[in-house]
Amino acid sequence: MNTNGIGALVVVPARGELPRYEAGIGVRVLVRSPIGHYRVPTYLRGKMGLIESVIEPRAVDNEEEGFGRNAGSRLHYYRVAFAMTEVWPLYQGSPKDGIRCEIYETWLERI
Amino acid sequence: MANREHDHPHDTEAHGGSEIPGYYDMLETAITELLIEKGLIEAQEIRRQIEVLDSRTPALGGKVVARAWVDAEFRARLLANGRAACEEFGVTFYDETLLIVLENTATVHNLIVCTLCSCYPRPVLGLPPDWYKASPYRARAVSEPRKVLAEFGTIIPDDVEIRVSDSTAAVRFLVLPRRPSGTEHYTEEQLAALVTRDAMIGVIPVSTPTMRASQ
Amino acid sequence: MNESERLIKRLPNDIGGLPGPTIIQTDQPLEPWEKRCHALADVLDFRKILNTEEKRCGVEALGSEIISHLSYYERWIVAFSNILLRKQILTPTEIALKMAAVEARWTAGA
Repeated sequence: MNTNGIGALVVVPARGELPRYEAGIGVRVLVRSPIGHYRVPTYLRGKMGLIESVIEPRAVDNEEEGFGRNAGSRLHYYRVAFAMTEVWPLYQGSPKDGIRCEIYETWLERI
Repeated sequence: MANREHDHPHDTEAHGGSEIPGYYDMLETAITELLIEKGLIEAQEIRRQIEVLDSRTPALGGKVVARAWVDAEFRARLLANGRAACEEFGVTFYDETLLIVLENTATVHNLIVCTLCSCYPRPVLGLPPDWYKASPYRARAVSEPRKVLAEFGTIIPDDVEIRVSDSTAAVRFLVLPRRPSGTEHYTEEQLAALVTRDAMIGVIPVSTPTMRASQ
Repeated sequence: MNESERLIKRLPNDIGGLPGPTIIQTDQPLEPWEKRCHALADVLDFRKILNTEEKRCGVEALGSEIISHLSYYERWIVAFSNILLRKQILTPTEIALKMAAVEARWTAGA
């Protein structure tokens, strides 16, 4: 940042340009039923997890990409960590086991 | 026109016999020829991409793993940015996928799956095995990974976390398996030869012939 | 949720967590046409004629009956055909005539 006596730079990022969420926070996968194409598996809908990392760079919503959108309106994907016991209440393995999945920003809410 | 008509990618491929190809084989030929005639693709592009695909095998991944085992700084770069480290190593990525390399440790065992289709780190491993693309693995790997691993002969103790990565977007995954004990004197080439495709998917560990013989 | 809703709300490939049988650990090499089909997919994606996600969506849209009867690459090539038709890059008559011509080469050579 150039602070040569003319004050700090003010840079306003565009809407959606910065990640809405950050690594380490708790999130819930939303519940909704898209028609036509989706990439959030049903088994994760409504489940709670922690954001492990923010995937860079921003990318096109793959639901729209499925119908031909190749550019524009890019938002972030997040690698989300879920405990197996959260996803499968009757899970038989070790309580330490978990799932990781990349989820688009429009499918998450902060908890 | 005669030259155009024969300007299709299977010029140089031997036809098995004089048996008429199946419906879908002929459909593929028809679609490709139409696209070439319309100038949308070129026969040479298809031929070249077949060469690209043929050049991508688990041996590439094995070399990347072996380098990570012997070179701690490369390992760190690989774990920080899988695609960049592979490209630095000479494995080009012909698509727009990203690569995250997942390190197996004493406390974490990684397994990769694509429940929705068959996403797989093709630039560095080649094409996936049939079982990876089929329903039983895709359905069960996320809900009963320990039973799935047991079918491959792999038993992971309960105090080790199993982490299943389900690829649904642009990121692909490669498991960096643990280096087997007793390989301290191995050359990098010998190490690479130990690393199998299935170990880089995460369904089996890397073992030495001695270890396998004693099982 | 009744059956008619389920068919639309849950895509046929969305199987994570469903019960399944023992994994059959076979691995067959690709037929030459299957490898050409895979190369075609990569070229179409590179040329931005048909991207990978469109291919996935096209396979899903085949529906569970077709998906259950066609092999992996058979689903791909039918999905490509449907998408290229929808984009008006090819027409049904063009495909039909070309397929007849391809078949005629084989029967003529017999």
